[in-house]
Amino acid sequence: MKILSPVHYIGFKTFEKISAVGEVFCILGRTLKALPHAHKNTDLIVKQMVSIGVSSIPLLFVTSIFTGMVATIQAEFQFRDLVPDKFVGTAACKMILIELGPILTALVLAGRVGSALAAEIGSMREKEELDAYTVLGLDTYRYLALPRFIAFVTMVPSLTIISNCLALIGGWIVCVLALDITSYTYYTGMQYLFQPMELWAGVIKSFVFGVIIFVLGYYHGVNAGSGARGVGMATMNVVVASCLMILIADFALAAILF
Amino acid sequence: MPNVEINADDVMIQLKGLKKSFGKQAVLLDVNLDIRRGETMVIIGQSGSGKSVILKHMVGLLQPDEGEVTVDGITISTPKFFDTRTIRRKMGMLFQMGALFDSMDTGENIAFALREHHPELSEEEIQKVVTEKLKLINLVPEFRSKMPSELSGGMRKRVALARAIALSPEILLYDEPTTGLDPITSDVINDLILDMQRKLKMTSVVVTHDMVSAFKVADRIAMLYKGRIIEVGTVDEIKNTDNPFVRQFILGQRKIPTEE
Repeated sequence: MKILSPVHYIGFKTFEKISAVGEVFCILGRTLKALPHAHKNTDLIVKQMVSIGVSSIPLLFVTSIFTGMVATIQAEFQFRDLVPDKFVGTAACKMILIELGPILTALVLAGRVGSALAAEIGSMREKEELDAYTVLGLDTYRYLALPRFIAFVTMVPSLTIISNCLALIGGWIVCVLALDITSYTYYTGMQYLFQPMELWAGVIKSFVFGVIIFVLGYYHGVNAGSGARGVGMATMNVVVASCLMILIADFALAAILF
Repeated sequence: MPNVEINADDVMIQLKGLKKSFGKQAVLLDVNLDIRRGETMVIIGQSGSGKSVILKHMVGLLQPDEGEVTVDGITISTPKFFDTRTIRRKMGMLFQMGALFDSMDTGENIAFALREHHPELSEEEIQKVVTEKLKLINLVPEFRSKMPSELSGGMRKRVALARAIALSPEILLYDEPTTGLDPITSDVINDLILDMQRKLKMTSVVVTHDMVSAFKVADRIAMLYKGRIIEVGTVDEIKNTDNPFVRQFILGQRKIPTEE
């Protein structure tokens, strides 16, 4: 398309972005439409759950433990001589359950499995595998998108809960080994002012983050350019777009849920 | 050359006034072509001339900007045509690079569509069909456990062919079946294309720029040039044509003979 003026350029780019948003919602709609067939593809779903969920645990283990340790050290530093030690556990628990756990897990997974999803689908498109599915009369949304969608929306919340636990353990380790706070103090602090909504809000958020990572990963995969550069760009774009959307959605959900 | 009785009035695939552009690039300007039931039609033309685009229109992977694609009496090039599954079950396609599903072994690749479209078949029956299809492409049943990454280029195309015929289609489309293969393996693929037509009585459309392959497998050859079919004829007619563009292509000359 020939660009005539800066105004034309802005209009053209805006139209392009609106089309992309439309396509993202189409992908989501078509995937949800295939949902009644989910029980016929349990083997594919389990395979994706293992690949997305179980395989991410080692990475999440390290990041969560260290984040929990850092959060607790920072809380203790801010509270030192001002607030009783019990509140270190309270602050760490609230930080981790409401924000750190869900956001950290989503960002780590956007980098690890969101990019892998875009690369996999992009390379399948490049090698005409997506066309092969269509020609064989097989719906790509049912066989490719749906198992990944289900794996994302179940595994991201599950991993978030695991990450929450690991981060709290990290905080406890720091309290006992470095901060001279007893396990009992940390534990009672965690329970103090705890509201179940804080845990559920994190889980609800991570469900939405799972949808975001899946749909952006799939979108960038099917729209990947050709060759190694095209797939490389797609993986980079999905990480950037997912991280931005996760942070924006986090703000929106915080405003809605609290 | 294939040896199957073909009725000239019995058209299986019809392309009428097909036009297709990608962005500013017009690829097909006005393509008109009739492919008869049971024949092997070879579409030749330079790389990038739009041969594969024609093939993708035939199977409904692309929709034309203008014009009509009719397969076995059903117009598939209309947005109102939703029953793509019915028509696609009549068609198989061999992709240029095979397009095997990398995460599945050879047997799974062949059985996958079969299992989904024929849930009434038992696992034993499916494995029987897989063995039968592997035999048709001259591969031993032990190949079923090989992963696509363990196969050579020629093998991948043979397995892809077995997958394409798994649902016993009436029409088989070949996208550059011999590209990237050595001459001997190319001839093996050519023989398989002939075998498919003789044994399974399929209508075949082969897109290629390999003239050895085209002359061996074709009943008729169509030449695509600058977005139009400029010549259609039997192998002998094409070999003896006066059309300078067709002569340039089949003789592999850099310049059009009339320019010299």
